[in-house]
Amino acid sequence: MKAASLNRNNFIRQIRRRPLTLLGPLFLIVLTYWFFFTSSKPTSKYSYKTKKNGFFSRQHDVIPRNLPGDHIAHYDLNKLASTPMAVYNKEKVLILSPMSKFYNEYWSNLLRLTYPRELLELGFIVPRNKDGDLALKKLEKAIKQIQTGKKENRFSKITILRQDTESLDNQQEKHRHALKVQKERRAAMASARNSLVFSALGPYTSWVLWLDADIIESPPTLIQDLVSHDKPIISANCYQRYFDEEKKQDSIRPYDFNNWVESEEGLKIAENMADDEIIVEGYAEIATYRPLMAHFYDANGDKNTEMELDGVGGAAVLVKADVHRDGAMFPPFPFYHLIETEGFAKMAKRLGYQVFGLPNYLVYHYNE
Amino acid sequence: MGPYYKPSPQNEFLNKLRSIAQNKYSISIIGIVITIVLLTNFIIQIVLGQLYIPNFSSVPNTDFFDLRSFEGLPDGWQHEERVLFCVPLRDAAAHLPMFFGHMKNLSYPHNLIDLSFLVSDSTDDTMGVLKTHLKEIQNDPIKSNRFGEIEIFEKDFGQAIGQGFSDRHGFEAQGPRRKLMARARNWLWTVSIKPYHSWVYWRDADVETVPKTIIEDLMHHGKDVIVPNVWRPLPDWLGNQQPYDLNSWQESEGGLQLAKTLGEDAVIVEGYVEYATWRPHLAYLRDPYGDEEVEMDLDGIGGVSILSRAKVFRSGANFPAFSFEKHAETEAFGKLCKRMGYSVVGLPHYVIWHIYEPSSDDLKHMEWMAKEEARQIEESKLKQFYDKVWSEGFEDVRDDWENDRINIFKNTDTNKLKNVKVDWSDSDNFQYKPPLGKDKDKVLAAFDPQEGK
Repeated sequence: MKAASLNRNNFIRQIRRRPLTLLGPLFLIVLTYWFFFTSSKPTSKYSYKTKKNGFFSRQHDVIPRNLPGDHIAHYDLNKLASTPMAVYNKEKVLILSPMSKFYNEYWSNLLRLTYPRELLELGFIVPRNKDGDLALKKLEKAIKQIQTGKKENRFSKITILRQDTESLDNQQEKHRHALKVQKERRAAMASARNSLVFSALGPYTSWVLWLDADIIESPPTLIQDLVSHDKPIISANCYQRYFDEEKKQDSIRPYDFNNWVESEEGLKIAENMADDEIIVEGYAEIATYRPLMAHFYDANGDKNTEMELDGVGGAAVLVKADVHRDGAMFPPFPFYHLIETEGFAKMAKRLGYQVFGLPNYLVYHYNE
Repeated sequence: MGPYYKPSPQNEFLNKLRSIAQNKYSISIIGIVITIVLLTNFIIQIVLGQLYIPNFSSVPNTDFFDLRSFEGLPDGWQHEERVLFCVPLRDAAAHLPMFFGHMKNLSYPHNLIDLSFLVSDSTDDTMGVLKTHLKEIQNDPIKSNRFGEIEIFEKDFGQAIGQGFSDRHGFEAQGPRRKLMARARNWLWTVSIKPYHSWVYWRDADVETVPKTIIEDLMHHGKDVIVPNVWRPLPDWLGNQQPYDLNSWQESEGGLQLAKTLGEDAVIVEGYVEYATWRPHLAYLRDPYGDEEVEMDLDGIGGVSILSRAKVFRSGANFPAFSFEKHAETEAFGKLCKRMGYSVVGLPHYVIWHIYEPSSDDLKHMEWMAKEEARQIEESKLKQFYDKVWSEGFEDVRDDWENDRINIFKNTDTNKLKNVKVDWSDSDNFQYKPPLGKDKDKVLAAFDPQEGK
């Protein structure tokens, strides 16, 4: 009995002298309990804390946020049509222009088009370099002028994109057309075209007009004229105005050689090519003997003359939007040894569409 | 002095550094110089590297997007990256409740998911059921359960082929069917993809079991195109489980050789004896205990659940509705992406489960099983009846006989008898006393036990 009380006294004295001997273990017990039993929910594998994209990043205010609960858009695409009576049926046309240079003549020609503006949408894509910056600034100015002006002059929608892939730097005219760089250049162009069409194409778009940013002159009824042929893909003939030094007078000459009909020779060349090689028109190295639409122009001929084509250029091409929706795109790789717009024509044909051209219907390319 | 003590140029340099380091001033000067260089670099990058961004905020109906901002990061959900969630639907009313059950559980921030549905060639009320579910989920009192933008598209492509399992999965039907489905898929994404989408996720409605983190699980790999392994559960009599999606595979020599022999419009489909390609399939490489993070390069992929960077589609990849390198739809999509230089990857050990739809052979077997069961029940009923008639028509004494037999043999079983010793020694001395009284006339039978000896 006495021994026990002595022990207890000892124990209490011990605690008084060194309180940590008791508090330490107690604290540990509480801590372990807290660690093992108070974690209420099993924590997720991933963190959902928002990270900032960088100090200078800009919030994109066009992205829909906090839409009302019953905001459910419903489109019946069975009713969407592309007919020769496009204006009458109020069919929406999307004009697409990849743009590395802004020409005032292009813009004024675009504004001269007589297709109703409320049915017109525009789409532009600019390269990721200084050229793109310059074009973008001019384009911004031009767009602001028209879109903040009179309501009836405004386009129904305009989408401007900056290409995500690095652009090949600005090339001199000679260098630009060298055969070696063609594949690379046109692959980049194809990617840009694809990004543009698939970003801008809406569930209400009936027609897509590819109009290069260096097309500076076309008939004002360009869209109506092309639509009236009611073809899945139809291309105008692209020429260029120049001053003929010999005859000392203004003249015109063919510019775009990518509208062509396949030839025996062309097929033979393709057969013997490696998988990743391409055939391009207008080079002495590759003589395909393809009939080129550029050479079929007849100044006195009927403007509405059609010819079936196997390859198209991108200068002024009208496409039924369904063709793109079915998956016809601009191959950024050799597709049957064709690339970009020519590959596009081939892909459309593989999807069962026919491609046509209007040899006597001219649009004009800028003269550098 | 040995060669070891020769001061090498490095040592000299180190010594110099050491002496510099001992000087406080020189250290601070070096620090300042480094800081200034870094800062100027930083500023130069910001001033010169930054591309021009136009401001259209006050211009009606005009938008600018830098596609570089929507390229798709592996941790996209932390960067508010938007996902376009594409669901092609055809006669799917029955699957929608299950599908929306999964949707509600998705852990990817719902407000960053834009839903896009294509309802085509449906004979049931897919559209009605879809809208009911969407309205319900979009009016959820918990706002974080609601999704972003929702678009429903209707488009009929004409359906030459039925939608029964065997109609769909029969060999001959594959080519045209796959091309038609490819068209439907292309219509869906081309009308719904926006410049601000960073990812596109394709999902069939008839997936039964799927982790709620499916999007993050696929996204964090940071691949351009990625698919999980797809299996389906089976009834016990078919072996419990089976690979479902055989469209995810790696190209083989056999496949390439087969492709060369086929016509331009032919479509190779996997999982049919008609086309033996000997390709390694994602489905068969599954190890139930394997690491879910393991990746496998693929050439063709299946469409049950695909996560892809949006830029893959924007740059032109799609589901070829024609024979592309002898394939169509999702398999050709894989091939096309490869051709365009994108990474196409599958996760062999990360599995989602498709629902089980019995094939017509399975249905036949199930019908046989049901008939067999009914037949057995009928048979046992008949047996009971005959048994009753038998027992009432005859008195069955077989059991009694059996008992009697046991009782009789119980005591005569010689094996059980003990060896009894009889003492015959006194027998000779036995005195016979003639009986008295009424038995006095009886005489003993002539018996002498000794007689036989």
